[in-house]
Amino acid sequence: MHVNYWDEIKKDRLGKLGVILVTLLVTIALGAPLLAPYDPWAYVAPSLSPPCWSHPLGTNEVGQDILSELIYGTRTTLLVSVSAAIFSTTVSLVVGIMAGIFRGTLERIILRLIDVMLVIPVFLVALLVAAYFQPGMVTLIVLFSLLLWPPGTRIIWNRVLSLKNQGHFTAARQFGAGTAYLLWRHLVPELYPLLAVNFIQVVRRAVFMEAGLAFLGIFDPGAKSWGLMLHYAREFVFTGSWTWWLLPPGLAVSLTIIAFALLGYSLESALDPRMRRQTYAEN
Amino acid sequence: MLKISELTVSFPSTGSPLPVLDGVNLQIEAGEKLGLVGESGSGKTSLALTLMGLSPGEKQGSVTFQGEELLEKNNREWEQLRGGSISMVMQQSGEMLTPVLSLGKQVAEPYLKQYPGRKEEAYRRTVSLLKQVGLGESYVHRYPYTLSGGEVQRSMLAMALITEPAFLILDEPVSSLDALTREEILQLLKNLTRNCSVLVISHDLSTVARLAERTAVLYSGCLLEKAPTEELFQSPLHPYSRALVRAYPTLEGVKELQGIRGEVPSLSFRPRGCPFHPRCTQTLDRCRRERPILEEAVKNENGGQRMLACHRGGVVELLRGRDIRSCYPLDGGGNGRAGYLEAVRGVDVYLDEGEVYALVGESGSGKTTLGKSLAGVDIPNEGEVYFQEKAINKMSRKEARETRRCLQMLFQNSGEALSHRFNVHDLVAEPLVIQGIGDDLSRRKAIERSLDWVRLPRDEDFMHRYPHQLSGGELQRVALARALVMEPRVLVADEPSASLDASVQAKIIKLLLHLQNERGFALFLITHDLALAARAGDRMGVMYGGMIVEEGPSSRLVHRPLHPYTRRLLQAAPTLELPPEEPSHASISGTENSTLQSTADQLQANSSGCSYAKVCHWSSAICFREKPPLREIGSQKVACHHLSAELQTIKHR
Repeated sequence: MHVNYWDEIKKDRLGKLGVILVTLLVTIALGAPLLAPYDPWAYVAPSLSPPCWSHPLGTNEVGQDILSELIYGTRTTLLVSVSAAIFSTTVSLVVGIMAGIFRGTLERIILRLIDVMLVIPVFLVALLVAAYFQPGMVTLIVLFSLLLWPPGTRIIWNRVLSLKNQGHFTAARQFGAGTAYLLWRHLVPELYPLLAVNFIQVVRRAVFMEAGLAFLGIFDPGAKSWGLMLHYAREFVFTGSWTWWLLPPGLAVSLTIIAFALLGYSLESALDPRMRRQTYAEN
Repeated sequence: MLKISELTVSFPSTGSPLPVLDGVNLQIEAGEKLGLVGESGSGKTSLALTLMGLSPGEKQGSVTFQGEELLEKNNREWEQLRGGSISMVMQQSGEMLTPVLSLGKQVAEPYLKQYPGRKEEAYRRTVSLLKQVGLGESYVHRYPYTLSGGEVQRSMLAMALITEPAFLILDEPVSSLDALTREEILQLLKNLTRNCSVLVISHDLSTVARLAERTAVLYSGCLLEKAPTEELFQSPLHPYSRALVRAYPTLEGVKELQGIRGEVPSLSFRPRGCPFHPRCTQTLDRCRRERPILEEAVKNENGGQRMLACHRGGVVELLRGRDIRSCYPLDGGGNGRAGYLEAVRGVDVYLDEGEVYALVGESGSGKTTLGKSLAGVDIPNEGEVYFQEKAINKMSRKEARETRRCLQMLFQNSGEALSHRFNVHDLVAEPLVIQGIGDDLSRRKAIERSLDWVRLPRDEDFMHRYPHQLSGGELQRVALARALVMEPRVLVADEPSASLDASVQAKIIKLLLHLQNERGFALFLITHDLALAARAGDRMGVMYGGMIVEEGPSSRLVHRPLHPYTRRLLQAAPTLELPPEEPSHASISGTENSTLQSTADQLQANSSGCSYAKVCHWSSAICFREKPPLREIGSQKVACHHLSAELQTIKHR
């Protein structure tokens, strides 16, 4: 089975939309200092002023520009979620391969651990732990990484089991290949699509969790984050400022999650031959 | 009676003299019939002419005939001897008779030369000999141009026998005759030469097989092997003898004919060392340096003196599996609770250098498992695999690496065995990369050479294609190129053509066999296709339920199957003809009504007895109790408790 994933995604209209949205978000995050009209930490206008030409989304209760906050929030969100996804996917990869290759007791321990982790309500644990520790960005990244690896691990373990009995592994072993060579040249490349999908899923979940925790106020109060913005805006709903203060970060969170979800789904359908045949049939 | 020792005959040339015969040692006892075979240009006729004193070359060594040294004789002495106690039937005999004299005069000539003036006696003898060779008295007055080829040959024979020679040389006595005449002449030769010693020289193996008791193999002026004729043709020791036998077409043979790779060396460029080494597939350094001496061979145990000139002691055994057992856990993931499935139940198998062994069996009979064990991919649960007489899993790291190089496997389903993430270049390069052989440039060369072998394009565009862009046949070739890039000594090919359509299959198999012949690797061919196995294999093994139930030369197995399962397979072999109206042969229809078991049944059914017992028509209590040993019957081996007495007697024939 050889599939050009990029082509598959491009064929899928929603997938294309996902790609565009994610690209947009990444661009905003990277170019935040250029795009943001003001320093989001600076007092630039009277507090709680409604939108005007110089401040399209108005200002918050301490007179910071909300649009700039929103733009910098993209950075935080993406940084936390992408780092968490990188780490947790790496953990999934290593642990999954270990379980699949070495089998035996190690495999059983890992699988039971995953079972346990899957039962635990992740958000609740995150809430408690984050509330206990200082809830900075690093803490959140570590926390998410530790909490979000089990589902991916299980999938990878499963795939490794079926992969390692395939002909080209046996062939490479017959040529005298060592474990390291087998892993790098044969196993990991086969896992790329799985890793990509897993990566995107974790990003999606991390975005949501980060926003959720921050909304509950469990985040470094000085940082700029969509969740924190929601948290503060909620207290001033009575002023009627919610249309330009509460709604934009809410939409931003939704949009980000939708963008990654679209990308993830189209990748996944490209991966699954049965779903792929449907898309071919439509074309 | 005749003793040739260290005979060297050379012809002068502008440079150093060209030896046609090189240190030949040969002995012929009184009444013995010795055959001499070899390709054209090997020096057969030169030897004959030397024995007749007709060779113009420079001679060294000695030839003694009845105690007299022949090489020192002068012309007059030779004339006495020639046509007297030594005579010869020449090649292309038609040219030896002059058209201006009647046949009777020519036949009588040698006698009159010996005993001048005894015309009466000469005439009497001529007539009686012509009658003996099947020509009537009337032939005395006929002229050679009125005779047919067979009649000329007969009269030549009469001419050679008229002086009642003690030693007769037959140089290609029947080569130019048609099959029926040949048969008659051979019969005649056999009858008439009963009392004298004969040297039969021929490139035609069947002539030698009919006439000679012992046969020597001459190659490029050197004797390579000497053995009782039947043994030589049944189980040749020297690679060259084996190649000769393989190249000879017979009706019994089912295998495709194979030429001998390379060309006969020319006289002026005779290789140093063993003359056969450039065409041999098991050459060592020593073969290039030293000439092997014709010595007594140790390999054969039952009777017959066998002589062999080979540093390797004849065809080398490359791979041997001894008592291989492989089990798979039935279920429960290796915790040993559920018991095991015995996929291979104690199999002994060996593979000689340059040999094709075809392993046949239905799916689930354990063929692939056995193949994997032999290729060193899997380690069998019990038993050992020896490569060049060293146990594979007891090798040092370095040896194991070397063995990996020499032992390659062509996997079933090449589509899966080739990673779809590698392009053609990377795929073929993979073994080299893994073994760390060469740099990019030399690897590239090796890859191109390998692609050439399997007749794939080697351009940049093709090198960068991925497996999904290739057809099934191309994929199989890429897989083959990958296996060959290391120049293995042994290739285990697991169903190399099973997934391909008939025309591509034929191409792949032809390619494989051609390469086998050219590159000289030993091929262990695993297939479920009996017809294919018979076409490809020198030897064939039939596997059922993890046991090899029958083994032997392919032609034997096809023409005279002994095991009931082999017969069954033969009946089921693919054919394009309509099945004949079923005659009610009791013995055949007996096997028809039994149905075959499923795979698991096959293997599980009978862990102590014969795997085939449940299905077999003849099975009795002992079949379920004891595993039948592989017994030798002639050149075949069969594992069955119920070999009938009739089959047992074949051994003695």
